[in-house]
Amino acid sequence: MGMIPERDSQTIREHFSENMTGDVEIIMFTERPSLIIVPGRETCETCEDTRKLLEEVSALSEKVRLTVHELVAAREQAGDLGIDRVPAFVLKGAAKGSVRFFGMPSGYEFSAFIGDLVDASNGETDLSDDTRAFLGTLTEDLHIKVFTTPS
Amino acid sequence: MAHQMAVESEHVTADVIEATEFPDLARRYRVRGVPKIVVNDSVEFVGALPETDYVAYLKSAVSRNGDDSGAEEQES
Repeated sequence: MGMIPERDSQTIREHFSENMTGDVEIIMFTERPSLIIVPGRETCETCEDTRKLLEEVSALSEKVRLTVHELVAAREQAGDLGIDRVPAFVLKGAAKGSVRFFGMPSGYEFSAFIGDLVDASNGETDLSDDTRAFLGTLTEDLHIKVFTTPS
Repeated sequence: MAHQMAVESEHVTADVIEATEFPDLARRYRVRGVPKIVVNDSVEFVGALPETDYVAYLKSAVSRNGDDSGAEEQES
């Protein structure tokens, strides 16, 4: 059985089909499950589930492409994207800034993630004109961290 | 909303961080309620705010950057 219930998959497939205009790439960094237990070294408990979830989401539209990298083997690319831990992924498409996730987007964050994919596909959002005007005045960088929990 | 801003502006980097998966970050940023938003490590707030209030915090981070240009990272 998949991570996404079939009924939800169909809803998301239709949502993508009706609302996405451009291609989006999900660039994921993960680590391979280790067969060896190393004392003191933490294993990534959500990497596999996150990869499966992203695979299922990317299968719901031909406009969504998933690329998966091992963090240890792709340190340079990860560094360029500001990724230093796993699981993490970046959305690349028509987004002008950097859209990143650290951890699995489950619960409420899953629907936000689906919305982010559509926004990154289109390069536009439903933010107000006032907010867009403010963003247009930025001359320096803003780094926003949003901490969430799965519920 | 942070990700939407990153979609709209090349100057915005927005990270959604699952706090329970990264307890070291949750400790570092003293996450006790969610959503907790931290802007440029200098301005922070908790809760899902209306867009205008959210932007007001971003504006305060921008003005703080201007005031503290070259200064050490601030605890808030």
